[in-house]
Amino acid sequence: MGPLFFLFGKLIRFVLMFFLIFIIFGKTRLIKGYAFNQVVIFYLTFNLIDTITQILFREVYRFRYLVLTGALDLILTKPYHPFLKVLVGGIDFLDIIMLIPYVGLIFFFAHNIPGITFFSIFNFSLLIFNSLLIATAFHIIVLALGILTTEVDHAIMIYRDMTSLGRFPMAIYQEPVRSIFTFVIPIGIMMFFPPQALFNLLSFTLYLLSFLVSLFLIFIALWMWGVALKKYQSWGG
Amino acid sequence: MITVKNLTKIYQTPIRSKNMIKDLFFRQYKQSTALNKVSFEIGDNELVGFIGPNGAGKTTTLKILAGVLYPTSGQVNVLGFSPFEKKAEFLKQIAFVMGQRNQLIWDLSPTDSYLLNKEIYEIDDDIFKKTIRDLSELLRCEQLLDKPVKTLSLGERMKMELIAALLHRPRLIFFDEPTIGLDIFSQEAIRDFIRKFQTQFGSSIILTSHYLEDVKRLAKRLIVINKGKILYDGTLKTIMEKYSKVKFISVVLEKNVSNNLINQIGKPIVNLYPKIVWKVEKKHLPEKITLINRLIPYSDLTVEEERIEEIIKVLFS
Repeated sequence: MGPLFFLFGKLIRFVLMFFLIFIIFGKTRLIKGYAFNQVVIFYLTFNLIDTITQILFREVYRFRYLVLTGALDLILTKPYHPFLKVLVGGIDFLDIIMLIPYVGLIFFFAHNIPGITFFSIFNFSLLIFNSLLIATAFHIIVLALGILTTEVDHAIMIYRDMTSLGRFPMAIYQEPVRSIFTFVIPIGIMMFFPPQALFNLLSFTLYLLSFLVSLFLIFIALWMWGVALKKYQSWGG
Repeated sequence: MITVKNLTKIYQTPIRSKNMIKDLFFRQYKQSTALNKVSFEIGDNELVGFIGPNGAGKTTTLKILAGVLYPTSGQVNVLGFSPFEKKAEFLKQIAFVMGQRNQLIWDLSPTDSYLLNKEIYEIDDDIFKKTIRDLSELLRCEQLLDKPVKTLSLGERMKMELIAALLHRPRLIFFDEPTIGLDIFSQEAIRDFIRKFQTQFGSSIILTSHYLEDVKRLAKRLIVINKGKILYDGTLKTIMEKYSKVKFISVVLEKNVSNNLINQIGKPIVNLYPKIVWKVEKKHLPEKITLINRLIPYSDLTVEEERIEEIIKVLFS
C-alpha cells in the first residue's frame, strides 16, 4: 500500500499545480508572452528533470548516515567508483512510473504548439541531458559537502527549493533575480532553456553557453569531491 | 609488499568560538597528530600484529594503507600501488575487515551479498563456489549461508562477514579488531580461521586487536604503536626477551612451611597453601631456585614468563 500512496501523493501534487496554471489562464491569455501550452511545458519539463534526478540520485539523501557511521570506509575499499554507491546506488524505480505521464503530456501539449520541428525536439532532448549533468554536478557537490561538514540534508533541501523556482518561466522573475537564476545558480539553464529550445526561442550563444556551464560545474564538482576525499577523516571508527 | 616511510597523518578538528561569524569565515582548527613519521615494511605472506591503546594510530595506519585516508605526508606503497589513488587493480587485491562494520545486506541472506561481491570482484563461477565451500567449511557455518543476516547472532554474522570480505582471495588483508564484542568461543573460531586462511591462501595479514590473545596466538611479528609512533617492531619472542625483566616462580608445597622460611627467598606475591608464587628479577632466577631447592619442600615447581600484557603496559607507560 505504501508505494501506492506515495505515487498517489505525487499525482495529487502534480494535478493541483496543473489546475493552478489552468485557473490562472482562465483570467489571462498570456503570462509574460507565453501561452497556456508553453507554460504547461515549462512545468512538465521541470517535473521531468526533477523526477529523473530523484530516480537517479536518491542515495544522496542517505549519504550523511554513511559518513557519520564510517560505513563509507567500506565503500571506499571496493573496486568500483564510489559514485556507483553513494550517488546512483539507490535508484528509485517507483518514480519511473511518473515519467510516463510527464513525457506523454509533453508530447501532447507540444503537438498543439506551432513551429516545433524534429530539430527543436532534438535540441530539447539534448538540453534535458545537459540539465541532468548540472543536477549531477549539484549532487556531487552535496556529497562533497557531506564529507567536509557532515551536512547533507540542508544542502539538498536548498538545492530542491532552488530548482523548484524553475517550475515556471524565468521571465516571471524580476532582474537581477532572473540573471542570478540563469548564470550564478543555473536553474534557468536547467529548467528554462530546454523548453525555450523546443519553442525555437533560444539563441545559439545561450545554447552553447548552457553546455559550457554544465561542463564547468561538473569539473568543479569533481574537484570538490577530490578535495573532500583528501579531507575525509573516517568518523565512527 | 608494503613500504611505509615517514608516514604522518594530522587530523584537523574545528574549534568553535562563541562568534558565529568568526566561525564561518575565520574558523580555527585544532590539529592532532595521529601518526608521526612512521616507517615499516611488511613482506609477502607475513602476519603482523598491530597493537596499541585507543587513539594510538592503528586504525589510521590501516585506513591509509587501504586507501581510505589521505596521508598528510610520507610515502606509502602497497602492492606496487599508491593506495589513495584507489585503482581497481589494487582494491581487488585487498580486503578490509572491520569488527564494528557490516557489509552484508541486512534483510537478505549472506549468499545474496556474496553474489553481489562476485560481480563486483569479477570472480569466476567455479572459484566463487569453491571459495564459499572452503571458507564455510573452515568456519563451520554452511547452515547459515541462506539465513537472513538480521536473524544471525553477532558471532555468526562475523563469520559470514569474513566470507564476504575474503571471497575474492585477497593478497593482503587488514583485520581491524575482528574479534571485538565476541564471546570466547567465537573469538577462538575467528582466530583459528585467520590462521588456517593464511596457511591455505598465503595472504599477508595485518591485524589490530585490543585482545592481546589474538596477536599472541596469530602473529609472529608485532608492531607496537602509541601516540602515533612505533615503539617496537619485531618478533613476539624478542619483545619478551628484551623487555621482560622478571619471571614468576610458582611452587606447590608438599607440606606447610613457616612464613619465615618463605620470606628468606623473597616476599611472595601469592601465598595460599599449598601454592606460593614469587616474582623475581631474571638475573636472580638461578640463585632463587637454588634457595628454594634447599629450603622448601615442594611437589611441583614452574617458572613462568611475564605476561605480554604487562610488558606492553611498560612500553606504553
